[in-house]
Amino acid sequence: MKILRIAREGMQALGANKLRTFFMMAGTIIGIAALTVIMAVGKGTEKKVMKRVNAFGTHAIMITAGGAKGFSPPQEGITTLRLEDAEAVRTQIGGVDVIGPFAVKRGMSIKAGANQVQTTVMAVGPDWHDAWEWYAADGDPITAEDNSTMARVCLLGTLSASDLFGSQNPIGEDIQIGNVRFKVKGILELRGTSPTGEEFNRRLVIPLTTGLRRLFNQDYITNIRVKVKDSGKIESVAEEIRQLLHERHHITPPKEDDFAIFSAADIAKMARGISGTLTYLLGALAGLSLLVGGVVLMNILLISVGERTKEIGLRRALGATRQDVFMQFLTESLAVTISGMVLGSVLGWAVSIVLARVTQFPVVISWEPFALALAFALVVGVFFGVQPARRAARLKPVEALR
Amino acid sequence: MIELEGIEKTYVAGSVETRVLKGISFRIEAGEFVAIMGASGTGKSTLMNVLGCLDKPTAGHYRLEGTDMVNLDDDALSHLRNHKIGFVFQLFHLLDRATALRNVMLPLIYADQYPEDAKERGEKALAAVGLSDRMTYRPNQLSGGQQQRVAIARALITNPAILLADEPTGNLDSRSGAEVMAIFQRLHRDGRTIMLVTHDRAVAEHANRVIVLKDGIVAEDQPVARPRDAEAEARALAEKEAGQ
Repeated sequence: MKILRIAREGMQALGANKLRTFFMMAGTIIGIAALTVIMAVGKGTEKKVMKRVNAFGTHAIMITAGGAKGFSPPQEGITTLRLEDAEAVRTQIGGVDVIGPFAVKRGMSIKAGANQVQTTVMAVGPDWHDAWEWYAADGDPITAEDNSTMARVCLLGTLSASDLFGSQNPIGEDIQIGNVRFKVKGILELRGTSPTGEEFNRRLVIPLTTGLRRLFNQDYITNIRVKVKDSGKIESVAEEIRQLLHERHHITPPKEDDFAIFSAADIAKMARGISGTLTYLLGALAGLSLLVGGVVLMNILLISVGERTKEIGLRRALGATRQDVFMQFLTESLAVTISGMVLGSVLGWAVSIVLARVTQFPVVISWEPFALALAFALVVGVFFGVQPARRAARLKPVEALR
Repeated sequence: MIELEGIEKTYVAGSVETRVLKGISFRIEAGEFVAIMGASGTGKSTLMNVLGCLDKPTAGHYRLEGTDMVNLDDDALSHLRNHKIGFVFQLFHLLDRATALRNVMLPLIYADQYPEDAKERGEKALAAVGLSDRMTYRPNQLSGGQQQRVAIARALITNPAILLADEPTGNLDSRSGAEVMAIFQRLHRDGRTIMLVTHDRAVAEHANRVIVLKDGIVAEDQPVARPRDAEAEARALAEKEAGQ
């Protein structure tokens, strides 16, 4: 193919002046590297977000006692969140699927034989399993009957089970929570960590009534877990709940809330953290580098056209058409940006890996940045290559040879 | 074969018109070796550009193997240059970064059909000018005479209808110049049509016919009774150098 032969001529010209070729490439390299890092960080962040959101529950809203600012455990001593609030949410808010009120106490001391651990105990109603979509992997769940009879039964998280019983099957065994004896009736399914990084699998679950009256000695709850029907409407449902609780708790600004609401959407925002800012910064760098790099490329090519007037004249005399000359300079421009893209991708890839190692930034390497980079390389190469190529093609052979 | 009929060329710079060629007509048959002579400013280079299809005349007709180039567009002229004309320039015009072989193969890049035996043809063309052992050399590794021989090989690679040489010895010492002229004379014996543009009568007399330009018209058009023998001249110059 003629076009390939002409492209090869362009390549040779680039190979003959390597330093200049590198300068032409520099902008593309930096731009594409930044682009690659953005994509790697972006993908990594989305993966982290999805993991967090999935661990939290994609359809979940959590109401926590106390006006906590970040996502945090319930504040001690806040007694205003009550079972009646949960009931009100159930009956008055549309779009709610399941309501799971519960009370949580941290740092409870648990004993089984000679083993003792400190962990978080959750006292839960019968709907709690559905609200969390967190069921018994072995044995039985907490039932309505357990709650009405204030049964002294519990489910262990998988890590609590191994902490307390080692490899022995704990179901049917007795443990002591505080001073109260409980029978283990099941093991909870494996689950990740909470949004604050707390290990879910160390938790212990008992009936809500048993917890409130026999163990914690309180008449208020600490959390309400809500599962919505449509995850797309999660933010509006959360807002409705907020307004309902404002009314019920007689809160009007500037008075601060005595509760906090977190939805899967908030968790996602939190998990994204500064990566959004980083993406914008790197995006600006990528755009700027590609633009400046393109302008530099164009100018060096224009200079090169000037210096190579005789070569162009010779080629025209030997039979090159205007289009042939145009294509040679355009392929030179494209060769620069495509090589820059390859080097930039490798650089960005290396930076991403280092970033993942040095910081705890989540990074995912995938093929998409390479495809996008190629598209950018082609666009920049053509856009900034056309002008010099056109100038070269317009040279008159007689004048060029003089 | 080549027919010029009333070729005129006028340059316009602002309000000043310069008539460089004022109606030039001649015919050259296939296989002729013609020198076009003239002092500088006689329209020699302008005529050379027209003959090479690098520039169009303002008036007149120029038929090359039956095709009147006056009617052709830029693409068609490029095509014509590529397969009908072989150029040899005073300043050689080789690509510095390419080897002798790649320089010779350069015109084939722009051919409609890239020949499968392009490399063999390049090697053969270089062998024909006595540079078989210099194929991978770059221009800066070659003497002026060798560079001009590479340029001649390049001009021959497309097997053109005419060979157009513009002061081919102008940048060479007398011995290299004689050697280059010897190559042209050999090519002429092999049946090539050659047009040589020069200001130097001694160089022109290697051809079989001399056309003299004066002030934009043909002043003289005569056969050379006894063309000079470039090979003998080259041999004599070599002996003289060896004797010193």
